[in-house]
Amino acid sequence: MASGYDRAAVVSGADLGDAARRRNVPGTPQQVLVPQPQGDDKKKAPKQPSVLDVLDQWEWVISPIVFTALAFFTRFYKIGLSPIVTWDEAHFGKFGSHYLKREFYFDPPAGKLLVGLSGYLAGYNGSFEFKSGETYPPEINYTFMRQFNAFWGAVCVPMAYWTAKELNLRRAAVWLVTLMVLCENSYTTISRFILLDSMLLFGTVATTLCWAKFHNQRRNSFEPEWFFWLFMTGLSIGFVTSVKLVGLFVTALVGLYTIEDLWNKFGDIKMPIPVLAAHVAARVVGLIILPFLVYLLSFAIHFAVLTNSGPGDAQMSSLFQANLRGTEVGRDSPLEVAYGSQVTIKNMGYGGGLLHSHVQTYPEGSSQQQVTCYHHKDANNNWFFYPNRRDAPYDPTADPRFIADGETIRLLHAQTGRNLHSHQIAAPVSKSQWEVSSYGNATIGDEKDHWKVEVVSDAASRDRSKIRTLTTGFRLKHEVLGCYLRAGNVNLPQWGFKQIEVTCTKENNPRDTYTHWNIESHTNEKLPPGDPGQYKSPFLKDFIHLNVAMMTSNNALVPDPDKQDDLASQWWQWPILNVGLRMCSWDDKIVKYFLLGNPLVYWGSTAGLGVFALLLVWYVLRWQRGYRELSHAEIDQIHYAGLYPVAGWFLHYLPFVIMARVTYVHHYYPALYFAILTFGFLADWFLRNQKVAVQSGVYALLYTALVGLYVYFMPICWGMTGPNKDYSYMKWFDSWRMSDA
Amino acid sequence: MARPASSKPPAARPSPPPKGPAPTQVPKPKATKRKDDYSSEGVDDNDVFLLPGSDFQLVLAITVLAAAVRLFRISQPTSVVFDEVHFGGFASKYIKGRFFMDVHPPLAKLLITLFGWLAGFDGNFDFKDIGKDYLEPGVPYVAMRMFPAICGILLAPTMFLTLKGAGCRTSTAAMGAGLVIFENGLLTQARLILLDSPLMIATGFTALAFTCFTNQQELGPSRAFGLSWWFWLVMTGLGLGITLSIKWVGLFTIAWVGALTLVQLWVLWGNYKNVTIRIFTKHFLARVFCLIVIPLTFYMAMFGIHFLCLVNPGDGDGFMSSEFQSTLNSKGMQSVPADILMGSRVSIRHVNTQGGYLHSHPLMYPTGSKQQQITLYPHKDDNNLWLLENQTQPLDVHGEPINGTNAWYNLPELPYISNGAILRLYHLPTHRRLHSHDVRPPVTEADWQNEVSAYGYEGFDGDANDFFRVEIVKKKSKSGVAQERLRTIDTKFRLVHVMTGCVLFSHKVKLPDWASEQQEVTCARGGTLPNSLWYIESNDHPKLGPDAERVNYANPGFFGKFWELQKVMWKTNAGLVESHAWDSRPPSWPILRRGINFWGKDHRQIYLIGNPIIWFSATAAVLLYVLFKGIAVLRWQRSCNDYSIPVLKRFDYEIGSSVLGWALHYFPFYLMQRQLFLHHYFPALYFGIMAFCQVFDFVTARISGIGLRENPIVNRAGAISFLVLSMAAFTLLSPLAYGNPWTKAECNRVKLFSTWDWDCNTFLDSYDAYNTVPSIPAAAQTPLQSAKGQQPPVAGGQQGQVPMADILKPGVSGAPLAPNQRLLHTEERVEYRDQDGNLLDEEQVKALEGKVEFKTRYETRTRVVDADGNEVLLPAGEQVPEQKAQEDAAEGVAPPHPDVEGANSETPKRVVADEEIPEPKQSVEGEKEREGKAAKPASEKNEASAKVDGEL
Repeated sequence: MASGYDRAAVVSGADLGDAARRRNVPGTPQQVLVPQPQGDDKKKAPKQPSVLDVLDQWEWVISPIVFTALAFFTRFYKIGLSPIVTWDEAHFGKFGSHYLKREFYFDPPAGKLLVGLSGYLAGYNGSFEFKSGETYPPEINYTFMRQFNAFWGAVCVPMAYWTAKELNLRRAAVWLVTLMVLCENSYTTISRFILLDSMLLFGTVATTLCWAKFHNQRRNSFEPEWFFWLFMTGLSIGFVTSVKLVGLFVTALVGLYTIEDLWNKFGDIKMPIPVLAAHVAARVVGLIILPFLVYLLSFAIHFAVLTNSGPGDAQMSSLFQANLRGTEVGRDSPLEVAYGSQVTIKNMGYGGGLLHSHVQTYPEGSSQQQVTCYHHKDANNNWFFYPNRRDAPYDPTADPRFIADGETIRLLHAQTGRNLHSHQIAAPVSKSQWEVSSYGNATIGDEKDHWKVEVVSDAASRDRSKIRTLTTGFRLKHEVLGCYLRAGNVNLPQWGFKQIEVTCTKENNPRDTYTHWNIESHTNEKLPPGDPGQYKSPFLKDFIHLNVAMMTSNNALVPDPDKQDDLASQWWQWPILNVGLRMCSWDDKIVKYFLLGNPLVYWGSTAGLGVFALLLVWYVLRWQRGYRELSHAEIDQIHYAGLYPVAGWFLHYLPFVIMARVTYVHHYYPALYFAILTFGFLADWFLRNQKVAVQSGVYALLYTALVGLYVYFMPICWGMTGPNKDYSYMKWFDSWRMSDA
Repeated sequence: MARPASSKPPAARPSPPPKGPAPTQVPKPKATKRKDDYSSEGVDDNDVFLLPGSDFQLVLAITVLAAAVRLFRISQPTSVVFDEVHFGGFASKYIKGRFFMDVHPPLAKLLITLFGWLAGFDGNFDFKDIGKDYLEPGVPYVAMRMFPAICGILLAPTMFLTLKGAGCRTSTAAMGAGLVIFENGLLTQARLILLDSPLMIATGFTALAFTCFTNQQELGPSRAFGLSWWFWLVMTGLGLGITLSIKWVGLFTIAWVGALTLVQLWVLWGNYKNVTIRIFTKHFLARVFCLIVIPLTFYMAMFGIHFLCLVNPGDGDGFMSSEFQSTLNSKGMQSVPADILMGSRVSIRHVNTQGGYLHSHPLMYPTGSKQQQITLYPHKDDNNLWLLENQTQPLDVHGEPINGTNAWYNLPELPYISNGAILRLYHLPTHRRLHSHDVRPPVTEADWQNEVSAYGYEGFDGDANDFFRVEIVKKKSKSGVAQERLRTIDTKFRLVHVMTGCVLFSHKVKLPDWASEQQEVTCARGGTLPNSLWYIESNDHPKLGPDAERVNYANPGFFGKFWELQKVMWKTNAGLVESHAWDSRPPSWPILRRGINFWGKDHRQIYLIGNPIIWFSATAAVLLYVLFKGIAVLRWQRSCNDYSIPVLKRFDYEIGSSVLGWALHYFPFYLMQRQLFLHHYFPALYFGIMAFCQVFDFVTARISGIGLRENPIVNRAGAISFLVLSMAAFTLLSPLAYGNPWTKAECNRVKLFSTWDWDCNTFLDSYDAYNTVPSIPAAAQTPLQSAKGQQPPVAGGQQGQVPMADILKPGVSGAPLAPNQRLLHTEERVEYRDQDGNLLDEEQVKALEGKVEFKTRYETRTRVVDADGNEVLLPAGEQVPEQKAQEDAAEGVAPPHPDVEGANSETPKRVVADEEIPEPKQSVEGEKEREGKAAKPASEKNEASAKVDGEL
C-alpha cells in the first residue's frame, strides 16, 4: 500500500528529523513536492492524480479523522443494547453512586470520580444499587454513562496513530498500528461499559504519545514545545496513576527513559553543569512534582465530595470519621475517659481496625478467647475501663475517676466480661510476639490483665492527666511482660475469620503506629456529652493514611483456592489468547458479551516480541563480533521505537506474573498496546527496504486479515443476541467459551 | 606464558611482590604477545599447584589449628541440638530405608548417615527433641558430628588457597584462613549435625576451583585447554554439583559461576581479532560440558543413591503420587482388572490430594444431617469398598428387575460404565449409599458446598439423592478406551450429583476429632477441577476372571520419580512461610542484628552468632567496593580514563567477582517469602570475607602510590593485628559457640546490642558455681525437654531452650506428666523459688502461703526428682489453679524448627491420622483397620510420632 515515493520520502524524512513532519502544516514545501500517482490509499482513491496527490498531502489530517470516526462508530454502535448491569459495572457504578450520594468510601478516586461525573451529567441521583445482572431502571441513562466511557476508548485510536508516527514508522506501518488498536475486539468490548479500563488505556496511550513527542523534542531543549510535552507527559502520568495503580508501570517506563536520557547528558562532558542541573530540575518538576500534584488533587476532590459517612469509614482514622456527616463516631461522646467508661478502641496504624473479641477461642496456643482487630462495627468491639486488681475495685456509685497517662488499667470485654490478657505464648501467626487473649472475668484473673496507658500524642491538649476520646493516641504496655499491644496488618486464618491478628510485641518502638490506639466511641452516663470531633485531621495526613491503607488492605483479598473461578485467568494465558471472559450470564434471552481479542493482534504481537528478542540478540552478537552494519539512526530507531515498547510490555506484564492475587484477561490490555507498537516497529523494520510489491502485498494481507477477523468476531463486542449456539462458529478452541456447544 | 609486553606502561605493570613470602610467579617467557593472544592484561599465574613448599607447610599448620579450634569439646553438648532433630532423624531413616521428604537434596544427609553408620549407629534413635540425651542410648553422635567438623576444618585451607589463587600475598591468605577459623558462626555450625558446614566447604571448594580456572583462563591461549585449565574447570563443575546436591542454595553458586563464565565468553567473543569461531566454539562447548553436564549428572546421581537407600514406605509417602508410592516396597499392588462394570467392587481414590480413598464408617456426623460420615482415608481398608450400581436394577430375560446387590453378576453381556452413566455407590460394609443433599458440610460451611453422607440400610432401595453421574475428564485420562468408559486407574472422572448438580469434592481440610481427623469430602458447585477428580484403584467383579485385561500403576522410572520429587520439594520449600521465633529477614544479616538460639541446658547455652569484627569488616569491604564502583562508573561516563590503569582494572574485576558472589548469595533471599535464618547468610559471608582480604591485599601490597606496597611489613603487621583482634572477639563470644560455662557478668559485658537476644540469666554467677551445681539440672532437664510440648516459647522457644529466668519466676509450678514417661519410682519434691531464683525451703514456703498466690504459670515447672536423678513432671492439676489449666493445656505450642518443617505442616496430621484412625470404635466394622493397627511395628509408630512431635 505504501507507494514507492512514500518510502523514499519518509526515509529521507526520518533522517531529516521529525521536525519536518511534525510541522505538517498544509502547504509546507516538502509536502507539495510530490506528484506521485500511487494507489496507496485504501480509502478508494479516484483516478485523477491530483486528487490522490491532495489525499497524500492531507493524509496527516484525513487518516486520523477517518480512524477516529471508525473508532467512534465501533465503540458507540448499539452501546445501550443490553439494559442490564454487566460484569464490573456493578462495582464501578456503585462507586459512582457513592460520589453522587457523597458517602465516604475507600479506593483510588480519579476514574471513579469520572464515572460519578458521567452519572451526574446523565442526571442520575445515585439511588440505584448496581447489583450485577440487574436491569437498569428507566431513570438511569446508562447509555450516556457507557458512551462517556466509550469516548476514552475511542480516543485511543487516533492517539495510537500519532504515537506510531512519532516513533518514526512509515505510513503503512502507522496505519497498521492504528488498525491493530482499532480492530482489537477486546479493546472495543471493554470500552463499551462503565468500567475504568478504557480510562486506564487512554492514560497509558496518552502517556506513551506524550513521551514520544517529548523524545522528538530532544534537540529543542527548553523551548516552549519541549516544555509543553514534558508537562503533558507529567499530566498524563498523574491522570493514569490516579485512575488505577497500574498506571505506575507506564510511569516506570517514562522514568526509565528519563534516567537514561539524563545519564547520557551526564556523559556529555561538553554540556555545562548548570544546563545539566536545569535538565534534572525540569524533569523533577515535570515528571515527579506535577504528577504528584494531579494525584493529590484527585484525592482533594475525593475528600471534598465525600462528606457523608459511608462504607469506607472504618479504614480511616477516628478523627477523620468524626468529621463526616451522619457518622456515629464521636457524637455526644463524653470528652474524657474515666473508669467504668464503655469504649471502642481503634488502632491508629494505616487501615487499623477496632479492638475486638468474640467467644471463639484460639485453636492452638492458649485456647483462650480470641482477640482481633476488626473494621466492622458491632457490640463485640466494646470494652470497659476497669481499675487494676491492686487498686480499689470499681465503684459504680462513686464520682467518675479519670484515667491519666501512666496509669495501669484493665480492659473488660463488654460482651463476654473477660479481661484483655497476654502471656508468654507465641502469637498464632507472628510467632516472635506474644499472644493476646480474653481471659477470666471481673474477679478471676491475675496481673497479666494489667495494661499501662502510655500517651504518645494528643491532638487537642497538652494535659496528660486525662485521656480524651478521639484525640489522644496511647500505647498499652503489658505490665508483666513489658510488651506493647499491637495490631499489624497480619490476617488470621479462617478460624479467626480473616480478622487482623492482635499481638503483644516485645519491641518497644514508640513510632510504630500499629501500637498506637485511640478511643473511638465512648459512653459513660455519669459524664456530660461533649463534641470531641471538633478537631479536624489535616488533609495530608488523611491522604497518606488512605493511600497506605489502600496498599496494605489490598493484600488481604485472597480468593478461596477451592473455588473454581471461571472469570479469572493466569498470566501465561493472555499473550496466547488462551481464554476469554464471559461478561454476563449466558442465558439465551439476554444480550451476551464475551471479552476476547482479535487473534491476529494477540498472536502477531506475541510472536513479534519473540522476533524482536531474536533480532536484538542477532545485532548485539554481531556488534560484539565487530560488525558495524547499523547506522546511528538505525540504532536509535531500534532503541526508541523497538526497545522502549518492549520494555513497556515487560513493565506492564511482569508485575502480574509475580503478583499472587487473582488476575483477569483485562489486566493484559495495557501490555498489549506495547506489544502492538513492537509489531508495528517490526513490520516497518523488515519491510522498509523491500520491493514495493512485497510491501504492498504484505501490508494488504495484514490489513485485510485484521479487519476480516475483527468483523468475524464482532458479535462478541456488539452483543450476541439469541441462543449462544448460534455463535459456535467463533468457538475455535474449547477454552473460548462464547458458546456452550 | 604470554604477557602483553608492548601494550602497557611499565609503571602500571603489577610487579610481583618484591620478595616476601610469596614467590608465586613462575618464570615468564619474555616473548612478545602472540598474534592470537587473548590473555588479560595484568594477570600473573597463580596456579596453586605451583606454590612453594613453605606455603604448603602453612596450609598444614592452618589445618591443624582449625582442627584444634573446631574439635575442642566436640562431644559437648551431649544432647540433641537445634536441627540435629532433623538431620540426625534423617540418618535413622536412611539406615532404616524409610522414605521421607525433605526440602534439601540428599548428599550431605547421606554422608552424615555414612559417618553414623560406620560408627555403628543402628537408626534406633529418633532425635525427637532438642535436648534429648545421646549418652544413655549410646548414639555415636560424635562420629556424626565429625563430618560437618571435617568440612569446617577444611574450609580454612580452602580459603587460604582461594586467596592465593586470586593472587593475594601469603600473609593475606593466612589472615583469610584465620578469619574463617575464628568466625564464631561458622564454628558453631561446624560442630553440630547440620547441613551448613558441608554446604560451606562445597561453596568454598567451588570458589577455589573457579578462581583457579579464571586465572588459567585469563592467561590466554598459552594455558587454555591445558592440564591445569581442564582440571580446574572440571573441579568447578564437580563443586557446583556437590553444592547443589547439599542445598538448593547451590543454585546461587551456579548463578555466580554462570554469570562470570558468560562475561568470559563475551570477552572472548568480542575479541574477534584473535579468537576464531572455532576456538570460541571449543571454549563454549568445554563450559557447557563441565558446568552444565557434570553438575547435573552429579545431582541426579545423588538422587539415584537416595532412591536406592529409601526403598520402604515411610512418613514421606503422603507427599508423593500413587505412581511414586507404588515403587516403594509393600506399597506396590497387584494388577487389577481394567474394565469397570456395573456391580464392580471398587475403591475410589482422590487424584489431587494424597488424602486417600473414599471412605465411610459407622459413625455419624455430629452436625448437619447427622447421617453417616464420608471421609478420605489414606490406608487400604474394607471400609473403602464401594459397589457400583446402575440407576435402576437390571432386567432379567422376562423383563423383571433383578433385585439385590449382586444383580449384575449374571447378565449376558458385560455392563460397561460409559461416560455419562448414572450410578449409585453402595457402601458394602454398612449397606448405605453415597448421598448428598442441601446441608452445609461440617467444616467448610461455604454455601456452595453440600454435605456428603452415607444413607439408607440394607435392602433400602435408595432415593434420588443417591444418583451420581460419571463424567470422564478426557484430558486427564489415558487416551483410548479409558476416555470412553470407566477403566481402573487410567480413567479420571468427576461424580456429579444428579439432583443438585454439585460435584463430589475433597480438599486438604481435616475433619475434627470425631472423624479422627480424616479428610473432609463434600459436594461442591464450582469447585476446582483438580480437587473434583477421582479414579478407581482396585476393582473386583466376578465376571472378570484371572484372564481379564489388567492394569497397574505405570512405573514412573527414575526420571519420573526424580522430577516429581523436585516439584514436591520446590512446593514444600515455598510453602514454609510460617513465622518462627528465631527467624530473621535478610536486611538484618550483614549488620548481625540477632542470632539463633540453638540449645540451652544446664546453665549453658549455644547461640548462633557471628564474630562481629569479621562480620562487620566483610560488610564494610562490600560497601567499599560498591562505593568504588559507583564512583568509577560515574567517572567512566564522564570520560575519565581510569580503566587504562591495569591495577585498577584488576581491582575492579577481582573484588567485583567476590562481591558478585556475595550479592548473588544474598539478594535472592529478599525474594523468598519462606522463613529465613541467620545461617542462610553464611555463603555470602564467605564471599564477603574473601572480598575483605582481597581489598586488604590490594591496599597493602598492590596499589602503588599510597606508600604501602613498597613496605611489605605493613601487609604482614596489618594481617597479624587484624587476626589478633578477631581472635579476641572470638574468645569473648566462644562460650556461646561451644556451650561452655559462662558467668552472667561476662555474658552481659559482651552483649553489644540489645538485639542480641541470648539470655544471660541462663548462666550462673561464677565459674565456681558450675562445679558445685548439683547434678539435678543436668540430668533432670532432659526428660523435661523431651516431654512433648513442654518447652516454653519464652525465650523464643527453640526447643530445648529453657531460660532459667523463667523457670525461676515466683510461684509454684505444675505441669502435666508426659504421657509416656516411664518412671521407676517417684519421689515427689517440689522446688519453690522466689523471683530471684533463690530456692525456698519449706518453712519459707509455709510462711508465704496465703500471702502470695502460688500460681502455675505456663512457663514454670515443677521439679520432681526421683531417686535416680531423673526428673519427672507432676501431673497437671495437683497444684494448678483452675483458671490456669487452660494455659497448661496449651503447652503444645512448640515453635517449629526451621528449614524442614514445611514438610510437616501436612505430614504430621496425616501421620496422626494413619495411626489414630483405626481405633475400633471409630471404624467398627473395618477389620482391616484394626489389623492395620496391630500389625504395625512399634518402631514405625515411633517414627510417626517423631515426625509429629519433632518437626511440627
